[in-house]
Amino acid sequence: MRTILAVALKDLRLHARDVRFLATLALFSASLVLILSVAFGPIFSDPAREASATLWAALFFAGVLGLTRTLDLEGESGGGEALRLTGADPYALYLGKTIANLVLIAADFLLLLPIASVFFDVGSLDVVPGLLGVAALGLVGYAAWGTLFAALARGLRARELLLSVVLFPTLVPLWIGAVKLTHALWGDGSVDPVRDWIKVLAVMDVLGLALAAFLYELIQEATE
Amino acid sequence: MILRAEGIHKRFDTRTVLRDATIEIAPGGITLLLGANGSGKTTLANILATLLSPDRGRITVDGEPLARRRAAARRSIGFASHRPLLYLGLTPLENLSFFGGLAGVPTPSRRAMELLEMLGMAEFARAPVERFSRGMLQRIVLARALMTDPKVLLLDEPYTGLDEEGVAVVNDVLRAARERGAGSLVITHEPERVRALASRVLRVHGGRVEEAA
Amino acid sequence: MTPTIPRWFDRLGVLLWAASVALVAFSFWMVTRAPIEVQMGPVQKIVYVHVPSAIATLIGFGITFAASIAYLATKEWRWDALAASSCEVAMVFATVVMITGPLWARSAWNTWWTWEPRLTTFLILWILYAGYHVVRASLRSQARRTVSAVMGIVFFVNLPIVWKSIEWWRGSLHPKNVTMTPEMRGTLLLGMAAWMLFYAAATLQRLRIEWRAEARAVAGDQGPLGAAEGAGS
Repeated sequence: MRTILAVALKDLRLHARDVRFLATLALFSASLVLILSVAFGPIFSDPAREASATLWAALFFAGVLGLTRTLDLEGESGGGEALRLTGADPYALYLGKTIANLVLIAADFLLLLPIASVFFDVGSLDVVPGLLGVAALGLVGYAAWGTLFAALARGLRARELLLSVVLFPTLVPLWIGAVKLTHALWGDGSVDPVRDWIKVLAVMDVLGLALAAFLYELIQEATE
Repeated sequence: MILRAEGIHKRFDTRTVLRDATIEIAPGGITLLLGANGSGKTTLANILATLLSPDRGRITVDGEPLARRRAAARRSIGFASHRPLLYLGLTPLENLSFFGGLAGVPTPSRRAMELLEMLGMAEFARAPVERFSRGMLQRIVLARALMTDPKVLLLDEPYTGLDEEGVAVVNDVLRAARERGAGSLVITHEPERVRALASRVLRVHGGRVEEAA
Repeated sequence: MTPTIPRWFDRLGVLLWAASVALVAFSFWMVTRAPIEVQMGPVQKIVYVHVPSAIATLIGFGITFAASIAYLATKEWRWDALAASSCEVAMVFATVVMITGPLWARSAWNTWWTWEPRLTTFLILWILYAGYHVVRASLRSQARRTVSAVMGIVFFVNLPIVWKSIEWWRGSLHPKNVTMTPEMRGTLLLGMAAWMLFYAAATLQRLRIEWRAEARAVAGDQGPLGAAEGAGS
């Protein structure tokens, strides 16, 4: 448990010191929301639907930047190898990095949520708790799978591209679920009609974390 | 602790680097390992440091296979590679406390300060590592390797970029290790800098480890 | 250590090729004789290639999945070679499915593409395994094998969820119960057997290339530095 926290805090501290990276991430995701809302607008046919798709598309794309950035931090001068040399449990290292990635993307979500709801003029404060719940479910899965796949993409050229190529199709269930639930909250104010998608998100979260428990150590040992 | 690699083979695609290499690091000794560029010295060091697994061959710790006690072995091995193995965005103190904490050092930040003082780096403890010169970095790298008070010390090209004073610091570290009964392996192509300390001089040649003349 | 290709392997290959070519030819002949479906006309005959290809794809990726697990458990290069070979052949079948699918859809549902669950799942499958090959090609030695194996496992495990979620997302158009004349059924079964055999032959052939490459890597080994002079002493 201490290991998980230490790793998460270390990653977050490194991110926090890299203001340029954080600013780039924020601007990139905000501009994604902007161009998509311009594409759908100025008169929206189904704002709740368009807004939820835009929000999650921006998060998915910007998230890849975060995932590869975390990866580069380990690689740039061999910090990741020193991490292995400490003899710490690899799964704890994975969970630490997953938490750091989750915090990063969650922060991005908190930034994009007001932007998207203003641009598309959707939602009310009443559904914010529901949205936070959906975001938690969706982003845990995103971070879990993303951290696992990022480890695979280590040492690859054009890793942002390759990571997207394998990560996005894998996360299709998560994507549909997150968009459906967000759409329902913004459109009807309730998730009841599409409640089943919560299960899909939960299954994806658990599956990602479970696969990593078996596979993360193997990847770490092999990708030198 | 005796770290032993026996009959190690390692191939990278179409290039065999090590062929039946055997080496042992025994307590209290300082072994020099020489060899031409590309002879496989660094590969062997990475294998001994448990970062790389051999294609064939056994690595044992006190006679037991490494796989059975990997985590414990990693904590007893101090490895200073020629890459820093540090986070450039953190300060030396943060780096050392972080790695020490994960490796189970009881009071990591106090231990980190001790080492930084010993290596003459105390005044830079809170400056980000990325601004350091090669020589300064090298000392932090040594400090990281020493955090767990390792029983085996592996130094891969520790003298690169160091001035006379820096060389003396490395040699002091080696002497101190010998005094507390730790075994050291020094990979270098500047053997004259440590020859006086060495208890044994080996070289990697033809993928094997042999006594150097 | 040097991996030489055993003779039984070559013999099995020849046998499989002969059998599969014969069967595939025979199944084509059967297809020409099979009755023309009333509603769709001759286009319906795509089924005799489409369905067996889809099944061969799934079996191929399934074998990649199993071989990937075996590789991670044993670290034997042969399992990795099998996983990669099977995956490559399955990729070809998947491409056949992706081409024949829209052709069928055009005449059956009057559209080239529809977000129908199996179709969508197959598209996702196709992209994922294309990614497998690209990632695999950009890595070397041990990392390549482990990373490929992990992909071979993860993609396959995730497949049922993708399928189920897309089915939920949108109802299925694919015919569930198809009434076929015995003749049609027989032709389809024959087609399946033929293409399966073809899959096995092609995978074996692909495995042979992998085997050769490994043998060449070992034989063409430049050896450790200083080995030549050291050999005499």
